[in-house]
Amino acid sequence: MDRRSFVKLSAAAAAVQLLPSLSFAQEGGTFRIGALTPITGAGSPYGPGMQQAIRLAVDEVNAAGGVAGMKLELITEDSQTKPDAAVLAAKKLIEVNKVQAILGTWSSGVTLAVMPLTDAAGIIEMNVSGAPAISTLDTKDLVWRFQATNDRFGAAFAEICTKRGFKRPATMAFNNASGLGNVNGFKKAWEARGNKVVAEVVYEPNRPSYRSELQKVLDAKPDVIVTGSYLPDSTIILREWFQAGAENKWIMPGWAAGPDLVKALGNEVCEGVISVETVSNEGSDAYKAFDAAYTKAMGRSAGSNIYAAMAYDMVISLALAIEAAGAKADIATINGKIREVSNPPGDAVYSFASGKAALAAKKKINYEGASSKLDFDKFGDTTPDFGVFVIEKGQLVRRDVVSIAAAV
Amino acid sequence: MTEFLNLLINGVIEGLVVALPALAMTLVMGVNRFPNAATGDFMTAGAYATIGLQLAGVPSLVLAALIGALAIAATSAASYFLIFRKLARQPMVASLLAAIGLGFLIRSLISLFAGHDQRTFQLPLMRAWNFNGVRILPTDLAIAGVALACLAVVFILLYKTSFGRQLRAVADSPDLARASGIRARGLLISLWLLVGALSSVGGVLLGMKAVVMPDLGWEHLIPAFAAMVLGGIGSPVGAVVGAVLLCVAQELSVPFLGASYKLVLAFGVLAIALLIRPAGLFGRIELVR
Repeated sequence: MDRRSFVKLSAAAAAVQLLPSLSFAQEGGTFRIGALTPITGAGSPYGPGMQQAIRLAVDEVNAAGGVAGMKLELITEDSQTKPDAAVLAAKKLIEVNKVQAILGTWSSGVTLAVMPLTDAAGIIEMNVSGAPAISTLDTKDLVWRFQATNDRFGAAFAEICTKRGFKRPATMAFNNASGLGNVNGFKKAWEARGNKVVAEVVYEPNRPSYRSELQKVLDAKPDVIVTGSYLPDSTIILREWFQAGAENKWIMPGWAAGPDLVKALGNEVCEGVISVETVSNEGSDAYKAFDAAYTKAMGRSAGSNIYAAMAYDMVISLALAIEAAGAKADIATINGKIREVSNPPGDAVYSFASGKAALAAKKKINYEGASSKLDFDKFGDTTPDFGVFVIEKGQLVRRDVVSIAAAV
Repeated sequence: MTEFLNLLINGVIEGLVVALPALAMTLVMGVNRFPNAATGDFMTAGAYATIGLQLAGVPSLVLAALIGALAIAATSAASYFLIFRKLARQPMVASLLAAIGLGFLIRSLISLFAGHDQRTFQLPLMRAWNFNGVRILPTDLAIAGVALACLAVVFILLYKTSFGRQLRAVADSPDLARASGIRARGLLISLWLLVGALSSVGGVLLGMKAVVMPDLGWEHLIPAFAAMVLGGIGSPVGAVVGAVLLCVAQELSVPFLGASYKLVLAFGVLAIALLIRPAGLFGRIELVR
């Protein structure tokens, strides 16, 4: 190293020394939250709404006088729906912004890449990813999931198959943690009921055609094909399936079979496709209040973005946990309070302000969220209810709601 | 047997689509001596131009694709004139990196103006013709027909016209060609017009089969590249044969290996072929000058 760069470096080191050390929360200080949502990439239809929902919740908490004498401060970053970009953004949030929680990671690949960083830093991570591995890899219990696991999506698929009387299901899975998680969860739940899957195919992303894969499945004469898929591949598969003239039904996750699928293929192809998506806790006061605020901010109802309500709940449950832990608590203590404020028993509360008041009155509370009842199991996973939508004349019509017992 | 035939048909059709970018790349490789990594993004641009024209109210897909091909041909020629012509005296790596950069630029511009959401052509869906279990999709037949027609046009240009003769002379020995009075500039602009149009049509055909997204062509660059290497770099016939061979091998492997190992098998075929014929199926060992 030459002398000039040494001088520059030592100046930089000295400057870093001058930064106030903010590694623990202080009375009258701030609690810093990093929002790491997919503003660009495959998650871009949802990321901006999630970021807005987090911002709404932060404003709500601060308007109610903050938490344990602190203000919440929000720093936003874009995960780009890419694990490598998300890791860089998370590093920046942790090392430069010194955040104490990272909220809103969407894709499983991103969450799995960011988890080791948040665990090493000993901070809280909250996500809406589906990969089952997130439950088991989270050894420090610092990771909280606000969406059903792919595994439980699969269990919901099995429940729907039973309810609708299908006998010969086949599966097609996109080759990644999410796609495989869906069909493996389905297979496990389906075979536990003493049934068989007639054919299984795992396929690769970014192929111009899936005719050979489809042919392999159709040769087994299934009455329904259950998929763990995304929108682009589902579009190609359904187009080729329709042209091949087969007669079976489809059960797909909601992120694959939505209005965009109908837009790409037309009503005739999509007729009767069953789309399964978790539904928000629509009956609750928390949802109604959130829906009103979200609609005002985004010009669309909260129903247009299932993940927005989850992102909103992240901030509220975290804020209630900070409140319960009290001033000067470290992150481990706050983390330990998350189940306590969200799960029964306790007085049901539907907003931060009412929860804060109940805590001040030394009551045990149970936050019932906008996205679900928000009861965390031993892995830190929640299981919202599943809506069963059938595409009829190009519209998604809700035909049923299925609940899966949390203990799997 | 029917299963085998179905897989074979899928492989041949996919191969013909991959053949177009493989041919475009091998032409540039033979004459300009660098792998044009922007080929895939010219494909994407062609698909988006066609979608845009359809949205703007051009009634037929064929007409929209033709106008799109002209636009991309012009873009491609401009990119040669402004970028690659100036790098011709530099080492190959300079042109390769410039092509990668150009690809990034095209992708970013497409994302900026068209967004990341998938798009599809307005195309009627038709049921397959069923010959005792062997299914042929009318759309696939149209795709194969267009691809074959494009390949035929390129081969006629290359082997039956003075343009093709001069081009092959420049590819063989630029100095000798110049001494014989061949003017390289106009010739190369024509070549880049041709590869632009070829890539554009390839992109439209790919988009008809798949869905159109900003990284459509980029994702399919590697198979095209592999086809070019398998056929022998700089050999037009080799590029087409290589593409069809690779895709057929991929599809036929599905019953044995499962769909997830298709790509691995394709590269296995490539490795074995290159062990037997290091210059590719139709390639010549080039002397290092």
